[in-house]
Amino acid sequence: MSETAVRLAAPIILVVALAAGILVDANARFEASATDRAAATRFDTVLDGLTPDSLVLVGFDADFGTYAEIRPSVRTLLADLLARDARLAFVSLTPEGRALALAERDRLMRLDPDLEADRIGDLGFLPGSEAALVTVARAIDGGAALGPPSDPVDLAETGLVLVVGGNDLGPRSWVEQVVPRIGPIPMVAVTPTILLPEVQPYLASGQLAALIATPIEGAAYRDDVAEATGGRLGELGGPSTLAVGFGLAIGIVWLLLALVRRMASSRPAREADRA
Amino acid sequence: MSGFEGSTDADQAATLVAAVVTLIVFGGLFGERRLFGWTQHLFAGLITGYLVLLAITEVIVPRLVVPLAEDPVARPELWLGVGLLVTAAGAPWLPRLVAAVPVSIAIGGVAAFALGGAVVGTILPQLAASIARPGDDAVATVVSASAAIVSGLVLIGFVHGAPRGKVLAGASAAGRWLMLGGIGGWIGYLLLSRLVLMVDRITFLVVDWLGLGR
Repeated sequence: MSETAVRLAAPIILVVALAAGILVDANARFEASATDRAAATRFDTVLDGLTPDSLVLVGFDADFGTYAEIRPSVRTLLADLLARDARLAFVSLTPEGRALALAERDRLMRLDPDLEADRIGDLGFLPGSEAALVTVARAIDGGAALGPPSDPVDLAETGLVLVVGGNDLGPRSWVEQVVPRIGPIPMVAVTPTILLPEVQPYLASGQLAALIATPIEGAAYRDDVAEATGGRLGELGGPSTLAVGFGLAIGIVWLLLALVRRMASSRPAREADRA
Repeated sequence: MSGFEGSTDADQAATLVAAVVTLIVFGGLFGERRLFGWTQHLFAGLITGYLVLLAITEVIVPRLVVPLAEDPVARPELWLGVGLLVTAAGAPWLPRLVAAVPVSIAIGGVAAFALGGAVVGTILPQLAASIARPGDDAVATVVSASAAIVSGLVLIGFVHGAPRGKVLAGASAAGRWLMLGGIGGWIGYLLLSRLVLMVDRITFLVVDWLGLGR
């Protein structure tokens, strides 16, 4: 097969196989094995410690490119928090995060028109990067209000800080600037896999109380929530299992083919060297 | 499903535009670069417009214009900020010493927050966490000791250039292999996460846009 044919065929096969997987198995979702449940269990334990009507400060700074990876887990988590009678307050320190936070907040209001506006507060976009984080930490520690003058949110009642990461100001910045200033209030995070090496040490050191950073951990958490609520929180699904399986199989075959082709092309050169 | 779209005409138009742009981006897989480049320009333009809107509606007007208009004397620090901004804008025409003031304050402020946070929030707690200590049970103690050993070996793996003996060279090689093992595991997860992103986009096209498999 010519180089051009391979170059064109590979993406076509991948796209068609993924679409077929989605259509055949639209409802079967990614499932985690029992061994992958540690992160979800840790998350549940932290959320169980929340008192009713606690304020959860949601630092929403996801990234356009990777948000789709964590979106099902983030939505499940927001629904889970509201089901536990927590109040949410969104704040963003990056423009991308602000756009996504607004979209998620609008979505929540659209899904449940009876949801009281004060249960999903909006602190808006805070400019100033690390300095803005220090302002947030001081507001939590000193019991000050933040947000638009017409509708400020009192951060004194903050019971949990949730960081939705992916952008420049993610869990690392929150841990560095906020955790040392807010005392015993726990901080949890949901991040895409690309940030795993950066945030995993904070979980090991206890600076993050819980973390979901891989698709498998997210699937385990969604399973736990679906089991606990009997699915009453609505659509909590993730990617189609069959499509992901097809994609992995094609990836492995493609890598093996590339290896075989490379070995075949290097054989004549080796024989020529020997001669 | 992305779930961002509602059922109004504007939402359906947004879905259509998103689907067409997604198809064009997928065209890049098959070597179509011209339209792909056009979508990048579209994205850059939209982002620029959004940033300007965000700056005006969420920063400049509510945090600067409104407070100064309501009570010009109450917030002297805002006037100071405006002064620094004007100085930065007029830097090409001002003496170097004056033009350096706003830049120095900006760099100094960012560095102070970032470095202070890195020391207090990352370096010291991570050093403390990597010290081996007895745990609640034998397994926890072994895990703690192993983490300390791995941290030590990986740090030694970064030793370059200095003359060293067999033991240090062996520890350095072991540290590098451990680090490669860690990176390998992460890349495995990363491949899975990229696949999840692609499945999400195709789900958007097949289910949200074409309405198949609902």
